[in-house]
Amino acid sequence: MLRGKHILHGFDEVLESLRADVLMMASLAERNLAHAMNCLLERDAQQCAITIADEDEVDALEKKIDQDGIEVLLRFQPVASDLRQVVSTMKVGNNIERVGDQAVQIARRARALNHQPELPAASSLAPLFREASEVFRASMRAFADGDFARARALHTRDRHIDQMNHDLADDLTLAMSSQPDRIPDFMNLIFIARHLERVGDHAQNIVEDIVYATEADDIRHPANAFQP
Amino acid sequence: MIQTPMPIQKPTARPTASAPVNDQAAARPAAITFEVKNLSIWYGEKQAIRDVTIDISAKTVTAIIGPSGCGKSTFLRCLNRMHELVPRTRVEGEVLFDGENLYGPGTDPAVVRRRVGMVFQKSNPFPTMSIAENVLVGLRLNGVRNRRLLAERLEKSLRMAALWDEVKDDLRKPGMSLSGGQQQRLCIARAVAVEPEVLLMDEPASALDPIATMKVEELITELKRDYTIVIVTHNMQQASRVSDKTAFFYIGELIEFDETTRLFSQPREKQTEDYITGRFG
Repeated sequence: MLRGKHILHGFDEVLESLRADVLMMASLAERNLAHAMNCLLERDAQQCAITIADEDEVDALEKKIDQDGIEVLLRFQPVASDLRQVVSTMKVGNNIERVGDQAVQIARRARALNHQPELPAASSLAPLFREASEVFRASMRAFADGDFARARALHTRDRHIDQMNHDLADDLTLAMSSQPDRIPDFMNLIFIARHLERVGDHAQNIVEDIVYATEADDIRHPANAFQP
Repeated sequence: MIQTPMPIQKPTARPTASAPVNDQAAARPAAITFEVKNLSIWYGEKQAIRDVTIDISAKTVTAIIGPSGCGKSTFLRCLNRMHELVPRTRVEGEVLFDGENLYGPGTDPAVVRRRVGMVFQKSNPFPTMSIAENVLVGLRLNGVRNRRLLAERLEKSLRMAALWDEVKDDLRKPGMSLSGGQQQRLCIARAVAVEPEVLLMDEPASALDPIATMKVEELITELKRDYTIVIVTHNMQQASRVSDKTAFFYIGELIEFDETTRLFSQPREKQTEDYITGRFG
């Protein structure tokens, strides 16, 4: 829906500021995710430490977005698309924070792996990482542009990520049986794949929030016929 | 004493509440209080309402919103023919109240206004009357003299208006001695004392402080159990708090009518969206 200027200029300004904070937060979370994967794929201990330390920035922005969002609700009492924009922006912020959490979890497991001899199977996680971070980045681009068509197109890609995670878990379990002494390390890889799959889930949540904000259409859980 | 709905037709027509006046009434769903069909209203040459069709459900709160001059108050007043007090008023279309044509040739406007009460923007207690006299004036004008009945109705009406506990010891004091919020609730008590079926409210809280406003809003929610309520308000948060359905008017036209939650979260029409979000004009 084409949105004209709000009579209260302050509303457009604070909404834009809220969105800018969310985009900044997404950039930090994406960077942290990349650092965490470098930690695993390049066995770079420093990047593990950076990822864990930088989580504070993402957390602080999440709190700021929630506080600012509540202030917007309080001051302007928005309705219709304005209300959806504010609520969805706050929800997107929460999902980005969880992407940041996944990055920290990956960094911690990668650090544990780095204390062990190199495990070649670690590189098999690279395609899943690329796919998850690409979907996350694309979802944030759709958020920045308010592009519901692109958001809808992304909605199905989570299934592909789920399948990649599933296949990886099968492969790693199989490999584990031939190297029983490395079972804890394989388990760490399986959990890292699971964290990446969760990044895909958060990207999907973001996409759903974008569609709700722009089109007022709740596309969550389409197969669920239960009505509370 | 008004026990059962009075027919709005003058005695020559003599329909009863259980005997609908025409075939339209027989086919009417029970839960609809007003069926407004292609209603247009003119004040002289100026058209205030344009071809409005809307059903207002029984025992619900319907909010009417829209910018100043959009026809909200005219629409409200046409539901009890109050707009006719303005000279050179002309009406086209149909308003069925409980299945009976509000503008039919035999309709008695006085009976309509007794069954469809009204509360105005500015509280208007009768300045020379006590609190009790203000509440009971409608009944007395209708010839009720039974003291026990009057006492019962006085307490019941003040309780319904959430005012009884505040004034029960001061019933002989002037109505004007009450605060603005209390005066407005006194007017609501006066409106419900004659046991109407519908309450029309024209910005009933716009002149009240936030606490008095909340009391009136709470009262509206309580009164919904017994009355069909139609409220005109400029306060969209108020509309979203108290109403079940909301109608948006613009330049005399009904632009959108929907469940309140839906209209304020995902309106279908761009004009509605622009108005309620403040991007209008």
